[in-house]
Amino acid sequence: MEYMAKIAFGFYTLIILAGSILAVGAKSLVRSMVGLIATLLGVAGMYMLLNAQFMALMQILIYVGAICVLIFFAIMLTRADDGGEEAQSASVRQNLLALLAVLSVGGILGWLVLTRPLATTGVPVEVTIEKLGLGLLGTYGLAFELISVVLLVSMAGAVLLTWERRNGK
Amino acid sequence: MSALTLYQLVALILLMAGLFGITQRKTLVGMLISVELMLNGAGLSIVAASQLTPANAMMGQLGTLFVMGLAAAEATLVLAMIVVIAKRFGTTKTSVVSTLKG
Repeated sequence: MEYMAKIAFGFYTLIILAGSILAVGAKSLVRSMVGLIATLLGVAGMYMLLNAQFMALMQILIYVGAICVLIFFAIMLTRADDGGEEAQSASVRQNLLALLAVLSVGGILGWLVLTRPLATTGVPVEVTIEKLGLGLLGTYGLAFELISVVLLVSMAGAVLLTWERRNGK
Repeated sequence: MSALTLYQLVALILLMAGLFGITQRKTLVGMLISVELMLNGAGLSIVAASQLTPANAMMGQLGTLFVMGLAAAEATLVLAMIVVIAKRFGTTKTSVVSTLKG
């Protein structure tokens, strides 16, 4: 079983790596979104490996099902793909500076992660959906209600922003 | 190397990819995609840390659920803003979308 888990971990890591490279590097924004979807599915697999099945399902439902559709709408509504606005690649100097920024942040965080290991339990803890539901309605009820308000306000804001008044009709 | 370290390195890869994308992309939609990558890395890190340590696992999973909810709210709002910007400027290139002089 241990062996299978390692293979699955490597597989998902490869999917995440390839997907994120495609998401960041693709010339076409639609392809970039496909890369994002692959990455999200890879992360959902990671959640499965971590024994958090509910999180994996929510990841697919919310990210792949809702956010990626929204991004697709954004691409299509703005015709961002038209004329290949991402087509001309950045200059070498810009690339180097971006790489420097990424490596400095990644280097510091990676060094911290590698040199300060936490005491871990070998096997992921199991949290049943029942417990999660009770937590959402009990201990973390306020956060749950707040997130609903935030979602409602953002949806209302989105409608208000894109509202077009029909003149003279 | 413990399993938690490996998961956190994967989350770090996601963060770095998103950071690279947000500095490289020229359109707002590309930047939105990069932001989603970074948020996902954060979620993976939280869940891994809560599942593999003696910390409260339920809190970690619910925290990531809230991060997902916030990401959905953020994506909705950013979509509306992008549509408005595209209507006003005719493009979503960040180099064109500026009204300040200088």
